[in-house]
Amino acid sequence: MRDRFLTHWRGIALSVVGIVATLWLAVTGQLGLYIHPRYFAFTTIMAGIAVVFVVLAFLLVPVGGEDAEHDAHDHGHDHGADRGPVARAWWFGLSVVLVAATAGALLVLPPATLTTATVDQRVINSSVAGQSLDDTIELAGGDEASFTVKDWAGLLRQGADERTLTGKSPTLVGFVTPDTDDPENVFYVARFVVTCCAVDAQPVGVPVYLPGWRDRFAVDEWVSVTGTFSSNPSIASMQATVLTPREITSTEQPADPYVY
Amino acid sequence: MGVIVGLLLLATLVTVRVTTAELPTEALSDAAKDFFTLSISVFIESLPFVFLGVVLSVLVQVWVPASVFDRLLPRTPVLRRVAMSLLGVFLPVCECGNVPLARGLIVRGLTVSESLTFLMAAPILNPVTIITTYQAFGWDHGILAGRIVGGFVVANLIGWMFSRHPRQHELLTPKFEASCQVAHTEHTTRSRVRRSVLAFAEETSTMLPALVVGCAIAGAIQVGVSRDIMLALGSDPVWSVLALMALAFVVSICSNVDAFFVLAFGALFMPGAIVAFLVFGAMIDIKMLALLRTTFTTGTLVRLTAIVALCSLVLGLGVNLIA
Repeated sequence: MRDRFLTHWRGIALSVVGIVATLWLAVTGQLGLYIHPRYFAFTTIMAGIAVVFVVLAFLLVPVGGEDAEHDAHDHGHDHGADRGPVARAWWFGLSVVLVAATAGALLVLPPATLTTATVDQRVINSSVAGQSLDDTIELAGGDEASFTVKDWAGLLRQGADERTLTGKSPTLVGFVTPDTDDPENVFYVARFVVTCCAVDAQPVGVPVYLPGWRDRFAVDEWVSVTGTFSSNPSIASMQATVLTPREITSTEQPADPYVY
Repeated sequence: MGVIVGLLLLATLVTVRVTTAELPTEALSDAAKDFFTLSISVFIESLPFVFLGVVLSVLVQVWVPASVFDRLLPRTPVLRRVAMSLLGVFLPVCECGNVPLARGLIVRGLTVSESLTFLMAAPILNPVTIITTYQAFGWDHGILAGRIVGGFVVANLIGWMFSRHPRQHELLTPKFEASCQVAHTEHTTRSRVRRSVLAFAEETSTMLPALVVGCAIAGAIQVGVSRDIMLALGSDPVWSVLALMALAFVVSICSNVDAFFVLAFGALFMPGAIVAFLVFGAMIDIKMLALLRTTFTTGTLVRLTAIVALCSLVLGLGVNLIA
């Protein structure tokens, strides 16, 4: 029984956990919390194919080691003389813990987006994520209404200032993360840019000048900010241009929290 | 019996998932939450590739006769390895899917060095990787050419070096080697469907625990190591290469898309560093080492990592000097 778990059922169990997690995320439209939309179809199809194997496994793979042929097979195969009964018991225990931990992480924890802890880890606006240098954002003629946090952050990074952004009044939705140089007066309305999966997420954000913002908003809270661009009144902050808010309201985290 | 257990298990897991969907998570710190989010994202991203690799491996082990490889592959070892390094053109699988497939190839009687050549080359020399690298960089600074040529040369060099090892089987873990022996003597007393399903169960039992551990380590390092240290090194010809290689090792993303990822660093880092990232990261990273450990001994992997790192470094420095 134990041996069969190590050689066969451990993989089936982890497959089932992975399949249920993947398909549930896909059905509830939350796969985007973890991977780029271009993988949705592939991920769902492969999970479907794995379902076929898992169903057949429950039909065909024996539960215990009662079959003589299999015993001989397994013996040569997994636990020869190199592993005594104590070591096998340990491996069995560790594997059960591993499967349980995986199930806990994938099926018990509610799905989540990345937080400010990761923003601190990866410098905000450290690169115009996903854009090559030739790919500059054209303000003139560009469809401003479709600009995301990423586009405005890119414009500011290219050196757009109060003068070039006169009359622009974007409404931006993102989460709140403090400017490390002037955390009391300036925060970013931020998003993560994802190129493959959440592990490569790069934070981008537009700085907002609002002294005492901490009294109104919590870090990682989702907000919608409308305002105009002006020179940064903050002395400590390194940002030249900030958004001066006209209206800020807290809002729900969008269904698709990352930008691409 | 098995079916009932399976249905019960499935019902339990789905119930658990649906009821815990809105569970409050205030008790967890932000860092802990992000550790889970990052690790889960690597897992969800890699899992379909591992499934694909396992399915292909099952096809090779159970449905393709061993004689096919003897008929199709050239006789000379060097040419055989060249052919193996181009196999990825037909199998656009990400590197995590290649490990189960390579295991299947070894079981089917290909040598360890031939399989290693395939493992090192296929993530780079496959149409998806080449197209995404082209989309990201075009022909700029020889990055695409450096990646393709570099990947081919390094993979064949690795294959040649490991083919010099007098006792090939010692490169493999005793456990995997034993399963090869069994496969050679085992004859088809069972139906192919049954053998396929058993092979699927065996492969996933080996690969998925390794994948889980690899994802957890990758997630932990992401949370623990700050990235601005690495970014400070970008403009030095030597340090930029080393820094991006370290980043490639840590982030463990699939070779099919790493070009888009590293594009974000294109402005900060020298082209040689980008090439080194694209070659080294496709061949070796944390998640990949965890998967490879199921098959190869630690000593083999240490040597493999050292050689690939050295080659990537030389390649990166070379591109920096030329470009």
